[in-house]
Amino acid sequence: MTNPVLQINHLQKKFGHFQALKDITFEVRPGEVFGFIGPNGAGKSTTIRVLLGIIRASGGTATIFGQNVWSDSVAIHQRLAYVPGDVYLWPNLTGGEIIDLLLKMNGTAHSAKTDDLIKQFGLDPTKKARTYSKGNRQKVALIAAFSQDADFYIFDEPTSGLDPLNERIFQDAVMDLKAHGKAVLLSSHILSEVERMCDRIGIIREGQIIETGSLAEMRHLTRTMVTVTLGDDFDVTTLPNVHGVTPGHAPHEWQFSVEDEHLNTVMSTLAQHQVVALQSTPPTLEDLFMHYYTGKE
Amino acid sequence: MTRFGRTGQLTRLNFRRDRFRILMWLILLAALMASVAWKFEGIYGTPSEINAIKGTLASPGIVAMFGAFSFTGKVTTAEIFANEMLLFMALIQVVMNIALSIHATRAEEDLGITELVRAHAVGTLSPLAAATCELVVVNGALGILYSVGLSAANMPGASTEGNWLIGLGLAATGLLFGILGLLTAQLADHSASATGLAYTLFGISYLARMITDVQHPKLTWWSPLGWVEKLAPYNNPHWSPIWLSLGLAVILLVLAFMANNRRDLGAGALTTRPGRRQASAFLRGPATLIWRRQRNVIIAWIIAVIIFGVAYGTVFNTIGDILKTNPTMQQVFGAAMVHEANHKILLSFTSLLSIVMAAVAVIPGMQLILKVHSDETRGWLEALYARPLSRTHLLFSYVGTAFVTSTLAFIGGLGGIVVMGDASLTHVKDGISASEFWQGVAAQLPEIWVFLGLAVLLVGCWPRLKSLSWAYLALGFISVYMGSLLKLPDWVQNVTPTGWMPRVPLHDVNWTTFSWMVVLAIALVIIGWQGYRRRDLHMS
Repeated sequence: MTNPVLQINHLQKKFGHFQALKDITFEVRPGEVFGFIGPNGAGKSTTIRVLLGIIRASGGTATIFGQNVWSDSVAIHQRLAYVPGDVYLWPNLTGGEIIDLLLKMNGTAHSAKTDDLIKQFGLDPTKKARTYSKGNRQKVALIAAFSQDADFYIFDEPTSGLDPLNERIFQDAVMDLKAHGKAVLLSSHILSEVERMCDRIGIIREGQIIETGSLAEMRHLTRTMVTVTLGDDFDVTTLPNVHGVTPGHAPHEWQFSVEDEHLNTVMSTLAQHQVVALQSTPPTLEDLFMHYYTGKE
Repeated sequence: MTRFGRTGQLTRLNFRRDRFRILMWLILLAALMASVAWKFEGIYGTPSEINAIKGTLASPGIVAMFGAFSFTGKVTTAEIFANEMLLFMALIQVVMNIALSIHATRAEEDLGITELVRAHAVGTLSPLAAATCELVVVNGALGILYSVGLSAANMPGASTEGNWLIGLGLAATGLLFGILGLLTAQLADHSASATGLAYTLFGISYLARMITDVQHPKLTWWSPLGWVEKLAPYNNPHWSPIWLSLGLAVILLVLAFMANNRRDLGAGALTTRPGRRQASAFLRGPATLIWRRQRNVIIAWIIAVIIFGVAYGTVFNTIGDILKTNPTMQQVFGAAMVHEANHKILLSFTSLLSIVMAAVAVIPGMQLILKVHSDETRGWLEALYARPLSRTHLLFSYVGTAFVTSTLAFIGGLGGIVVMGDASLTHVKDGISASEFWQGVAAQLPEIWVFLGLAVLLVGCWPRLKSLSWAYLALGFISVYMGSLLKLPDWVQNVTPTGWMPRVPLHDVNWTTFSWMVVLAIALVIIGWQGYRRRDLHMS
């Protein structure tokens, strides 16, 4: 197995008395898109800033390409691309100038790919950054990041200002990176995006990683929603191991949720009562998210 | 809802938002005025002291800095006070007003706060009206504080009318330039350009008043900044300058409201033009980025300082010709002696101005260094630090640009004085020689570097305290501008580097002082650099 690109072990960060990061541990491997999700203020951006060497960890270790994120930041950044959540650009430079400048600072240059991206995202590069909307500022940062030939890409809520068309262009570009064996860390609130693109997910709450794994692995930790219509008067509330049973709109229709480990026994019981219709929905990432944050399904 | 709906509520909000900065300005300015007035009888109380300073105040160099005043009959302490303080206090008050007015209007608009406010049931012109109310109240309060302070100080020769004339006259001048700021805030489309425009007009008023004061004081009526000089509060009180200031202020205010009424939120008459599609080959790293962003400001500063130097240089032929005031001197002492005397006068004038010029030249450099922190908090450095760029490289890009800018600005300013001054003289050998000029440069550069070094130290180690560097520079500036006239004790003049070097080219450069000042500046930069490498960056 190849070495992870990013490796974080028990990372901590204190601001004065406030413990912003308590215990962050995860890793990102080549060819993998890692989704980093959590509510506002949970510590996503703080973690990313530690990874960029902008702020210094107060405990634990973090390495990128096997190098220390604080002391070797310059060497790391040679092979890293980053798009911040709030993109601040120098107001009196044009978008085109900023893209070129950012590329040159990595020793690369404006290429045909850059022009292609500018066209795809529909950015007017001659406008001064002062006049750009939030979405256009994000496009500038995204174009600069995608034109760069990096090995590790960090996106911090990159699509919060983009329209659905541009969001799709972003997703395609990320999938292309993945196909080329690049590692991607994607922090996002848009759970459908994470669900579609990410191989593995880390959930952070109050400065702690509370769960990491693939979506399939996580689904096992919660319940499947089942809607069933039976042929007789069987009362589903008498079944063991089912939760939140409610009668449906039609006669003999029931809705309930069940843990994956009990799915088999529940189904064989129901089969004895002439199943007319059955619909099972795996939990979405949103259900998982709610499960972790509110304790409800 | 009228166009001025909820102006009162917004005005209260403005005062809440700006309470610390307003309070600081009020206390600082009122205390300065009152304490100088309080001490003044001790400085210029006796007729002989008054006569001695009267001569000094009539000399063109001082007239250029403090304005032309005419004395008739018996001159009182209060008249000397008015001469020394009026223009100086007006300058500080103009700076305060431009800062407050742009901050309350265009800066809020740039931040998107105006948009948020206007989305509520608030009149379209209310934010501007609230800013106007704020300026009226602040200037009015300051004027009253001045008058009350002057009455309490009760200088010999002061009159109640004169005290109120000073207070209200300064209030009117301050308000006039504050409203000028409100107008430029409507014309420009972002706050930096609005501030630049306001300062350009302020600079033109200052130069017009300086040149007319030295050559034809009557023409000073044409500069709004000259009106405070015409108050003549304690010898020949005039109220007309106040009506003139207020009248012009009303005209500017009407223009500002008309402009505000016609324009879209966020837009201005002077619009931002589209620019390059791709970066030039030159723009490739942090140093060239600073140049690209700040070149207009840097060039404008250097040109402005040179223009000031040239303007001061134009008065060389008036100052440096003793025969104009004393035609018999040549017969008595001979030509050589006369030239020697002329030369001495010019040396002394240049020495005084070069310290002022140095303090001014520090400003653009200090702004650049403090940008290291303000760019950091605005999130602009985040994009840079995600690149292979070290803290050292970035810091020294800013610091290097700052040192070069201030150094060039100073050399340009002093060069402007000397080149223009020498050119205006009938006898070139009376003027400042090249070697004297370079001595003058060598004497002031370490002082400039120490100020900048201090700014690097603060930005590197204690960025929250960065505004202390402005306070320190202001202290240094006041102590040289006013130090000798107010007879400030030596230790006050020695608190800041402006007082450490003897007056050059009048005296020789003290190379020992030169060396340790340079070492001090380097040490400050190194400590600041080490601090900057170690600390967390503050992102928004």
